[in-house]
Amino acid sequence: MTAPSSPGVGAPVPAARPARAAGVVELPPLRVRDRAPGEPRRVAYLYLAPAFLFYGLFAFGPLVYTTWLSFFDWDGLTVGEWTGLDNYRKVLSDPDIRASFVHSFELIVFYALLPVLIGLLLASLLAHGRVRGVTFFRAVLFLPQTVATVVVAIAWVWIYAPDGPLNAGLDAIGLGGITRGWIGDFDFALPALGLVGTWVTFGLCLVLFLAGMQKIPTTLYEAARVDGAGRVREFFAVTLPGLRSELAVALTLATITALRTFDLIYVSTAGGPGTATTVPSVLVYQNAFANGRVGLAAAVAVVLTVLIFALAFAITRLVDRDPSR
Amino acid sequence: MAGCGGTPGEDRPAAQQAGTPAEQVETDGFESLGPVTLSVISGEGSGGPRDALKRLTDEFEAKYPNVTVKLSFRDTASWFKQAKLVAASDKPPDVFAGNQGYQVDGELVKAGLVLPLDEYAKAYGWEDSYTPETLQQFMWSDDGSTFGEGTLWGVAQSGQSTGVFANMAKLRDAGVDPATLETFDDFDAALAKLRDALPADEPVIALGNKDQYGAIHLWGMIQGAYTPAQDMRDWIFHADGATFDNPGDLTALEKLVEWAEKGYMGQGDAFNSRNDAEAAAAFGGGEGAFMLGGNWNASIAKDGLGKDAAFFNMPPGESGKAVAIGSASLPMHISAKAEEPDLAAAYLDHITGPSAAEALVATQQVPAATDATAEPGDPLGRQVMQGWQQLVEDGGLTLFPDWSSPTMLQTMGQTFQEMLGGRLAPEEVISRTQADWEEYHAELAEG
Repeated sequence: MTAPSSPGVGAPVPAARPARAAGVVELPPLRVRDRAPGEPRRVAYLYLAPAFLFYGLFAFGPLVYTTWLSFFDWDGLTVGEWTGLDNYRKVLSDPDIRASFVHSFELIVFYALLPVLIGLLLASLLAHGRVRGVTFFRAVLFLPQTVATVVVAIAWVWIYAPDGPLNAGLDAIGLGGITRGWIGDFDFALPALGLVGTWVTFGLCLVLFLAGMQKIPTTLYEAARVDGAGRVREFFAVTLPGLRSELAVALTLATITALRTFDLIYVSTAGGPGTATTVPSVLVYQNAFANGRVGLAAAVAVVLTVLIFALAFAITRLVDRDPSR
Repeated sequence: MAGCGGTPGEDRPAAQQAGTPAEQVETDGFESLGPVTLSVISGEGSGGPRDALKRLTDEFEAKYPNVTVKLSFRDTASWFKQAKLVAASDKPPDVFAGNQGYQVDGELVKAGLVLPLDEYAKAYGWEDSYTPETLQQFMWSDDGSTFGEGTLWGVAQSGQSTGVFANMAKLRDAGVDPATLETFDDFDAALAKLRDALPADEPVIALGNKDQYGAIHLWGMIQGAYTPAQDMRDWIFHADGATFDNPGDLTALEKLVEWAEKGYMGQGDAFNSRNDAEAAAAFGGGEGAFMLGGNWNASIAKDGLGKDAAFFNMPPGESGKAVAIGSASLPMHISAKAEEPDLAAAYLDHITGPSAAEALVATQQVPAATDATAEPGDPLGRQVMQGWQQLVEDGGLTLFPDWSSPTMLQTMGQTFQEMLGGRLAPEEVISRTQADWEEYHAELAEG
């Protein structure tokens, strides 16, 4: 946390401004400032240092090193060879790699958009409906968030299996014609895994939105009702604007989860069938560890990182922007 | 951030050629070492291979009470991806599994991560125990560029071939007598008959292709009916002029598509949602009349089907010779950083040599060492052994096609899945597979 750099924001104006007018009682001389009022003292950097060191060592450093590796043709074991931008050229031109990014965007629909919609719907129901045991439901719906993804993957692989409970259920209600090995099917594998993502993320969205709704003043709802707004109007006029920052947080977190998802896909399909569920993180893994193409893997990772930064930035800009400001 | 700014890999000692064992290697007297631990990682974590290795490891510990063996297992598909990393770590296991071919073993040798075993081969007489064709699979030039000749870097426990597992009860019900299946065409006709006999939602052939190699192994048996085994071996060892683009391989791919379209492997792509071991368990549970796959699944089939489990080689095509994918099992290597390489070699000899025979046949496996003789006590074990011996006699082991380049397992695995899903023509599978081979062939030629 750094103090705001412009004076006067939030903090009260220091009362001890040097008084120059004659006749006023002389205050004891102030220590000479070498910084503007409100500007953080230099010693603050010392407090920041440990965190910064950690960040540099474990987050920023590896990022720089990965970028450096992406300029090499390296098998991970013997001496690498500098190849400049070759790996990036391959990332942009290889149809399989490009397709993997498209798969990621499809996952965003399932990991971010759907859960936000479901979360909003459930939150407005739970907030107004006077449901008994809200805490219980909230805990249950949040539960998927707390389970390790590998466990989630194994459970869903079982659910989606050709002789698994999903197909048994479909059979039971007379839909035997559409049963299949869901995650082995070219058309359904990615949506099937996407829905697992929806199941995992919507609980988080719900809890965020419920919390956000509690801080919306009830007077706003009363005012809306006095003005004759119905439930729907009230939602769009009061609830949604009030949840702007929660929306931004939920969308950012879920989008990042979608883009960097690896464990779920690796455990359930390993990117198959064919390349139907191959996402960039799976390509990074395959190329770095199986195929001995560490440079190419690093290039994919760098492009993925840039994409995540860009999307997170865009979401905060677009959603968490108070139009009245 | 050591190495940042430098060329990656540079800071590693060029070749960890600590790798030369002492001129005079010790083959006994390990009691005098005092308490010592040997860490071992196997890449075959299920069925017979796991059970046999556990038993052999216990025996080794009993033989040398001062030695503790830390044995752990990984599943095959993920081990291929971890092996190089684990081997390159600061504290690698003393003994670990690799995989023949350029993806794993070639890289391990090139990076100097494993010990050359020539001295041990002399000391333990491995050159007499194994056929030249078996040892060839573990030989590399010291720079890892030439596969199939040069120094010996590993040994293996068992002969692993692919063949036909049959559920005899199902065959009897459908009126199919395996003794009458003399040619590949007979087998093909039997599949049609079984398709009619079995319920529509039950596959004739139990297949698991999630790991993307099940369909390749199955296809190898079809390929054997149309392509000579030597052509495939030449291709895998990167002989000049070898090619995957030939009429036999194309016909075999078209036949596989035909089988899929006729629903022999079940409806739709369901086989993509389970792996090899899971399919074996399903077959053991009574699904399908056949399972076309590796003999490493024999003990799973036997546990499930008991007396109804049978095994035989795919009936031959016009050549009259048995041909199928098969080789020695995953090679076991000694780490270049092993502190007691002589002890590690003694362990290798114990788990692969004559002393291993009993444990291997007891789990329906075939010892790779020819002097490891033991008679299997059960009919399935005998059939598995006969299948292997027939393939050896006919020169019909094609080895595994994915050995041919570091990326081939992925290339063939994906294209086969896409072909079976009706999304890629067999011609396209051939051109993409051959393109992968040629890219690596050029890389090897550059050095």
